[in-house]
Amino acid sequence: MTVWTPTDDGYADLSSHDTFAHGAPHNTFARLRREDPLHWTEFAGGKNFWSVTRYEDITVMNKNTEVFSSARGIRMEDQSYEEYLARRTFQETDPPEHSKVRMKLLKAFSKTTMAQYEQDIRDLCADILDQALAKGEFDATKEIARQLPMRMLGRVVGLPEADLPWLVEKGDALIANTDPDFTSHVLDKMQTDEFRMMPFNSPAGAELYIYAKELMEEKARKGDTSGVLNLILEPAKDGSVITETEFRNFFCLLVAAGNDTTRYSIAAGIQAMCHQPELLVQMQEGGAVWDTAADEIIRWATPALYFRRTATRDVEMHGKTIREGDKVLYWFVSANRDESQFDDPFHVNLHRSPNRHLSFGQFGPHVCLGMWLARLEVTVLFQELAKRIRHIEAAGPHKFLRSNFVGGIKELPVRVEAV
Amino acid sequence: MQVTWRLPGGKAVTATVDYGQSLMEAALANDVPGVAGECGGSLACATCHVYVDPAWAAKCGEAGEFEGAMLDLAEHRRETSRLSCQLETHPDLDGLVLEVPAS
Repeated sequence: MTVWTPTDDGYADLSSHDTFAHGAPHNTFARLRREDPLHWTEFAGGKNFWSVTRYEDITVMNKNTEVFSSARGIRMEDQSYEEYLARRTFQETDPPEHSKVRMKLLKAFSKTTMAQYEQDIRDLCADILDQALAKGEFDATKEIARQLPMRMLGRVVGLPEADLPWLVEKGDALIANTDPDFTSHVLDKMQTDEFRMMPFNSPAGAELYIYAKELMEEKARKGDTSGVLNLILEPAKDGSVITETEFRNFFCLLVAAGNDTTRYSIAAGIQAMCHQPELLVQMQEGGAVWDTAADEIIRWATPALYFRRTATRDVEMHGKTIREGDKVLYWFVSANRDESQFDDPFHVNLHRSPNRHLSFGQFGPHVCLGMWLARLEVTVLFQELAKRIRHIEAAGPHKFLRSNFVGGIKELPVRVEAV
Repeated sequence: MQVTWRLPGGKAVTATVDYGQSLMEAALANDVPGVAGECGGSLACATCHVYVDPAWAAKCGEAGEFEGAMLDLAEHRRETSRLSCQLETHPDLDGLVLEVPAS
């Protein structure tokens, strides 16, 4: 068997965050795709769940929201109905309810709206890269990948520059709530359940709730509609306006989901440049490569490792019965390495086309709202990076986040030779 | 049935497609550039936007309310704009001509 992750013998525990601290267990995913595409996965921290690992299965199931619902939670951890009600965002709803909220947000994140930020992104990239590259040797996640999404979030939402580091810290505590580097309330090691009613089961969620409320009030008082807020607050076509709770939930989602996913896409791209030196050459050749490069980098990264659904009725699949109430996980990270969908999936091919990866949860109603911003940020960042360097290499081993939900390189020591 | 997608720049893709699918799915199956269908037909993304050739517009009908709201978010919307995930393959549409917007 090809060994992608040396610590993975093909039988890794997918329910364990520790497994992913060495990178995604690709040997296990490859075996499951081949031998057991609907795998009953034991979970010490709650009810067992189904793991779906094949590309085609996920694309079919992801559309079928009547049978596979988002409205009972989207992570593998179990939650009670009261916890669900207190913590949910529109990610945890199904159409048509989901569509109504999404409608109010789509314009703010449409391709056209985001395209207007290209120059802003380019200026920020120049600033970030000039500072980082001058160091010669540095942690690329910290100095580059973490910087751009945070600062763009500030621009897009219209937040004070001074608040950004605090917001990113809170966002990390929310979404990386299983890595002790990012939170003192490690989700699967908590002794009490005092935070269970808070967004993401985390005190950071409560702090962000308060911040969002105050931000809205302050902006309303000043008549400030900078960033995309005016688009979000505008009534939708049916006359409905976003409610305060919807906004606050959405704001948490934006800070958490909008931040680290792009960060880990950029980090994965930089890491790929270190082990496939031809990528820099291809980027420097430019032209058509930029139509496809961002999607390939985002496929390679797959920061959202899975999302969960819950079966609303019994359903047969691959000779097994998924029972009503069973949790079903779509492992996007596995689908994005599925040999039946992607030629040479373990190779980064910046010219890959078509490239129908599932990193944004494509082929379902929950497809990433921020995908246009993410693609633009990734494209511009690598355009600007490629202009500025002659060579890039690893300066030591990289480290992965301890999370089976968000896949990412949290430390990426690199050495660069600037132009 | 036969469908032709006219591409920006003058080229075209013509293909014979099966019934029982949407024209977005048919476009994906034939690798038509510029039709992505990223939300799988759940009216959440507007990435399968096409213009219906005026000769076929009446047969394709008008966009529904939700589809219309989504089309407001698409680039370069026209009178004949539709989301191809909402157009079903059908014997009445044999020979259909669609145009893919410039991206």
